[in-house]
Amino acid sequence: MNIFSRTPGVEWNPQDLDDTQPVATTPANSDSDLMTAYPTNCPACQGELGIDSYCLSCGQKAKSLREHFQITPSDWVAGVCDIGLVHVRNEDAMAGIADGFRAVLVACDGVTTSDDSDVASLAAARTACHFLWSQDPQGTGTLASRTEAVGELLTQAVAEANQEVINQTSPTSLNAAASTIAIAIVDSEAVFCASLGDSRVYWIPDDGEPQLLTKDHSLAQDGIDSGAKREDAEASALAHTITKWLGRDATDIEPYLAWMPVTDPGWILVCTDGLWNYASEPTAIKELVGFLDEPTPLALAQYLVAWANEKGGHDNITVVCARVDAGSPTVTALSEATGVVDSETPTISQVLDEEILEEKPTTRTRPIASSNPPDTDDSTPDDEPTDQGQTPSDTQIDDTGEQIPPVKPADD
Amino acid sequence: MAVFTSMVYQNEFLAESSTDINAIVRITCAEAGVAGQTGVGDVGEIVIVDTSASMGLVNLQAAKDAAMVALDTIVDGTYFAIIAGNHRAYLAYPRVTSGPGMVRMTPEARAEAKRAVAGFRADGGTAMGSWLLLARSLFASITSLAGKHAILLTDGENHNESATQLENSIRQCLGQFQVDCRGIGIEWQVSEIRKIATALLGTVDMIPTAKDLPIVFQELIARSMGRGVPDAQLRVWVPQNAQILFVRQVSPTVEDLTQRRTPVDALTMSYPTGAWGDEARDYHISVRLPAKAVGTEQLAARVQLATGTAILTQGLVKAKWSANASLTTQISPEVAHYTGQTELASAIQEGLAAHSQGDDRTATQKLGRAAQLAQETGNKEATTRLAKVVDIDDAATGKVTMKKNIDKADEMALDTSSTRTTRIRG
Repeated sequence: MNIFSRTPGVEWNPQDLDDTQPVATTPANSDSDLMTAYPTNCPACQGELGIDSYCLSCGQKAKSLREHFQITPSDWVAGVCDIGLVHVRNEDAMAGIADGFRAVLVACDGVTTSDDSDVASLAAARTACHFLWSQDPQGTGTLASRTEAVGELLTQAVAEANQEVINQTSPTSLNAAASTIAIAIVDSEAVFCASLGDSRVYWIPDDGEPQLLTKDHSLAQDGIDSGAKREDAEASALAHTITKWLGRDATDIEPYLAWMPVTDPGWILVCTDGLWNYASEPTAIKELVGFLDEPTPLALAQYLVAWANEKGGHDNITVVCARVDAGSPTVTALSEATGVVDSETPTISQVLDEEILEEKPTTRTRPIASSNPPDTDDSTPDDEPTDQGQTPSDTQIDDTGEQIPPVKPADD
Repeated sequence: MAVFTSMVYQNEFLAESSTDINAIVRITCAEAGVAGQTGVGDVGEIVIVDTSASMGLVNLQAAKDAAMVALDTIVDGTYFAIIAGNHRAYLAYPRVTSGPGMVRMTPEARAEAKRAVAGFRADGGTAMGSWLLLARSLFASITSLAGKHAILLTDGENHNESATQLENSIRQCLGQFQVDCRGIGIEWQVSEIRKIATALLGTVDMIPTAKDLPIVFQELIARSMGRGVPDAQLRVWVPQNAQILFVRQVSPTVEDLTQRRTPVDALTMSYPTGAWGDEARDYHISVRLPAKAVGTEQLAARVQLATGTAILTQGLVKAKWSANASLTTQISPEVAHYTGQTELASAIQEGLAAHSQGDDRTATQKLGRAAQLAQETGNKEATTRLAKVVDIDDAATGKVTMKKNIDKADEMALDTSSTRTTRIRG
């Protein structure tokens, strides 16, 4: 049961890269234009650009669209994807599709140490976004049923993205193209997240405690799981080494899944480590968001990207955000019906149980992220890498002969 | 059809809040073709011979021989004229008093012109301004001329005109034609002749002995005949709010072009470069930009060579602000080399000027610096010529002493050659 009507159209900003047209059933193909195209005017002074992409008036070098692009699929959704200051190529990518009620946000981070990773990330972002936009499973009509259905869909979307990465990148490269992916599906009812690698989804409520909704597949996260402080784990040399990724040599593409009912006004941020390297803690991001007074989604994304560049811009930076405005009658009604899950972070299978949901009273103060089940029996060693070598035979063997879980070295 | 290419040598990295970008732009011309035969208009050559009394029999005979060699070297079909100059300017050939003052070279014209030259005799004073103005009128009388070149030979000072008169004449000739100037003997003023040559996009040099004169004329005319591109301009575009600090030709000779600008549009300046043959010239461009945030990349200048409105080649000078000191503290070897060579030229000229005014303290200091720079930049010619004027005690520290008896010719040779630069090795 879906009580929302769908508006057929979306708002387009002609200045922006029009890559998000909701052609729902068409798989996203690599847009060769984006890989080489330049904007028509100087981003700094609006002057005419020379054929060498330098402004004829102020001399500023215009970034190619692949190096810097923005999307504003709707007035409550926007994104900025930027090369940063140090890298020579923008291997981040994003995609976003939205109408007045629903949005799909995707951010991907191509792995610098692999070839074609800029192609990989763009293919993954677009494929997943279009795939998810094309389907809006409602389950049996209850939120719990819908959650289960969307969880399956997200897993499928990641698999579709993986296949498209393989299709679009070199099949013989010694460094197979690879990319992370982070996805958020947002509507006035809930936000559903999936991630693979170390790109993230944050929930930044206007009031209340901000949260990281996803969990990285990285050695840093492994460290945190083993009891290290986030700050220390993420500062370690191998922190950015990811343990899951999309691409030809990926061995496990089971995403981390989470969802959260939408009850309060705030921001959903999907971002790559180009941002969170400088503000990993949800409270740090919230502090940044708080510097702006009721920004538009585009202004917020631009601000966060500019801030990351000010901090050094050591990596490509992507921020896709959606403004969730609770307080509209529909949201109120729905949140009253669904309530908020408890703080024990129930699994998707738990939230399947409608009883649990309906028994919970509605509170608007603390939306809680749920997580995927940690006890799924088909989890690969990448989920829980251990030092005991309890890994299946398809894992990599290092020089010492010791078995180690497959990892992707990080940028920098 | 001539092919132009350009290369930019620079360190584009600027430290935070730095503003000045320096670059060497090398512009190379190939397949220039023969002057007057490349379909872009006719060319004209005028030979100006000093026939003042001071020339005397020996120099005048050498000048006549040289003028005849020049006539032999001028390609048939080229418009030409011969001027005999003393305190007045005479059109020696063609013998016309009105209408077109130049004729096309033919075997007959060559023979007639040689007879005219043979009749030169040494008499009267020197008024080079009047020679230049006559040349200007002669060139102007042929409307089809795209390339205009003259060689001017003199042996003495410009006695019969004031400095202001000469400067006025030079000003009237600016952009009208190019002049290569040569001095014979030691009685002429290097600075005076350099003014003419620099303003009129030519070279200045001394001819030590009369017997060398014919070969020098032949080379000058041959080089001019090899300049198939009759006139080109250096264009420098800089972004809004940027400032061109200077534009210098730094190779093959140092010529400061900064003040010789003509605006093309709000952001672009044009500088004259004259005719081009198969050759390479290096330009040092210095631009001041408003400081931008670290990480910003922008164009500091577009350096182009143009004929009329056609851009033949373009070099991009870039600026990129960086927090990486290992990048921002580097100086481009080419920029460093030519900065040194430019300072070398000034040090020599200033040192010699001080010496001629009896200020040997300044002279010793400047020429010492010159000896140091000549060694640092590997300019062996300058070192050799300096060593004839000063005793170089220690080139590394720039310690020199003025020689007791300096041969005037050596001093002049050092002066005239001071602007010649060496290319960076490698």
